[in-house]
Amino acid sequence: MIKLENVGIKFNLGIERNYSFKQLFVDLLKGKRKKKQPEFWALKNIDLDIKKGEVVGLIGTNGAGKSTLLKVVAGVMKPTEGKVSVSGGISPMIELGAGFDMDLTARENIFLNASVLGYSEDFVKSKFNEIVEFSELHDFIDVPVRNFSSGMVARLAFSIATIVEPEILIVDEILGVGDVAFQAKSEAKMMDMIKGGTTVLYVSHNIESIKKICDRVVWLDHGKIIKIGDPVTICDEYRNKIMK
Amino acid sequence: MERSEKMFFKNIIANFKKYKFLLKQLVSRDFKVKYKRSVLGVAWSLLNPLLTMAVLAIVFSQMFKFSVPGVNYLVYLLTGLVFFNYFSEATNLAMGSVTSNATLISKVYIPKYIFPLSKTLFVGINFLLTLIPLYIIILVTGDPAEGTRCTITWLHLLLPFAFLCLFLFTTGLGMLLSTIAVFFRDIFYIFGILISLWMYLTPIMYDLSIIPESLHVIFKLNPLYWFIDFARQIILYNQFPTGNCWLWCALSAVVVFIIGLVVFKKKQDKFIYYV
Repeated sequence: MIKLENVGIKFNLGIERNYSFKQLFVDLLKGKRKKKQPEFWALKNIDLDIKKGEVVGLIGTNGAGKSTLLKVVAGVMKPTEGKVSVSGGISPMIELGAGFDMDLTARENIFLNASVLGYSEDFVKSKFNEIVEFSELHDFIDVPVRNFSSGMVARLAFSIATIVEPEILIVDEILGVGDVAFQAKSEAKMMDMIKGGTTVLYVSHNIESIKKICDRVVWLDHGKIIKIGDPVTICDEYRNKIMK
Repeated sequence: MERSEKMFFKNIIANFKKYKFLLKQLVSRDFKVKYKRSVLGVAWSLLNPLLTMAVLAIVFSQMFKFSVPGVNYLVYLLTGLVFFNYFSEATNLAMGSVTSNATLISKVYIPKYIFPLSKTLFVGINFLLTLIPLYIIILVTGDPAEGTRCTITWLHLLLPFAFLCLFLFTTGLGMLLSTIAVFFRDIFYIFGILISLWMYLTPIMYDLSIIPESLHVIFKLNPLYWFIDFARQIILYNQFPTGNCWLWCALSAVVVFIIGLVVFKKKQDKFIYYV
């Protein structure tokens, strides 16, 4: 389903984002036009094979490379080295509502965001009521999203992202959205998808939820895989290590 | 490598089918957002060009007394202006289209050429709307006694060729500029200056006949000159466009479009590290 072979991603940390003429002249005068940038590998030598229907959790400290790994699988980033092969439709829930336009209403955003996720027009039309119903935002459907609370935005986004039954679901720390009732609802929805045979890649700092839903856990540190295996064993080991 | 080139074009077509809906949504978003909070709403897309045209018409034909012998100057001016306005607005929006969608690019996989393309299409729809006031002016201005009233003939059916060339040229340049903008933000300022220079070097307000013959070659290197000339030969002179004109229009449009596409394709995987 998902296969990563010797994958590496390199960032240039010292990157000057807004490289300008001024900078160019300064560098020319100082005679270091080709300054060597410090190299930083966000991921290095990653080998991972995920089978259909498997639920894989990713754990690790901030900056360990969890989100980068998800982005590589989702196709957002091309690896600097190595090979990634993914078969099946992906629904990325990396950051909910990334495609929202705050000036548009919830109704308009449902169509916009759904198109960003690659759904077809007929599909969105047929599922429109279901999306609205799940988000419980009937009364606000023609209100610009700019006037929504952040919880409402997240609800809407979650409802759109989960309306398909994707073969692969990528979830980055999003189950904490909305109020308690909606959290329970969204967790139930995800469990349903898992039972339905969806392959899941799941990032969370909530160790308990990882233990509960995952079949396997990958422990990442500084862009490298430390351990792969049984959730309970690895989570406990991870917790002992970082609590020291 | 050769295989990946082939795959690229195959992917573009498959992608295009899949992301047609996205393209439509992005274009309609631009429309909605543009007029959302104004009272007159979409009516502005007609009113705006009409009023701008009125201002320019008054300034150039009444105050500066510009004219081009033998033709309706107002139509002469506005034909050029409609083309140039499309070019200038579309390239500017396309240039910023990748950088302004940075959050989207780093979160979801989307074929990135969609961004500049959605902008040139969006402005393209506006362009088609401005043809309505333009045609009203073509029909009502000019003096039949002096022979400066334009007549509409079947030749007008050839105009879409000029629109298509203008669109391809602009989209190609837009892709190129949006790529440069990712790595080199100064392009926003540089291009802003270039475009005003470009406007004066394009015979919009004046006719090429007032320029010394020896300099014509410089003006004719400008693809916009050919697109506008194509339209003017039809609208003002009721003339089948010259072979030269067909050739230069098609050639410059296709070449610039391909350059834009190739550069964009080569660099698109690096966008995410710089946006």
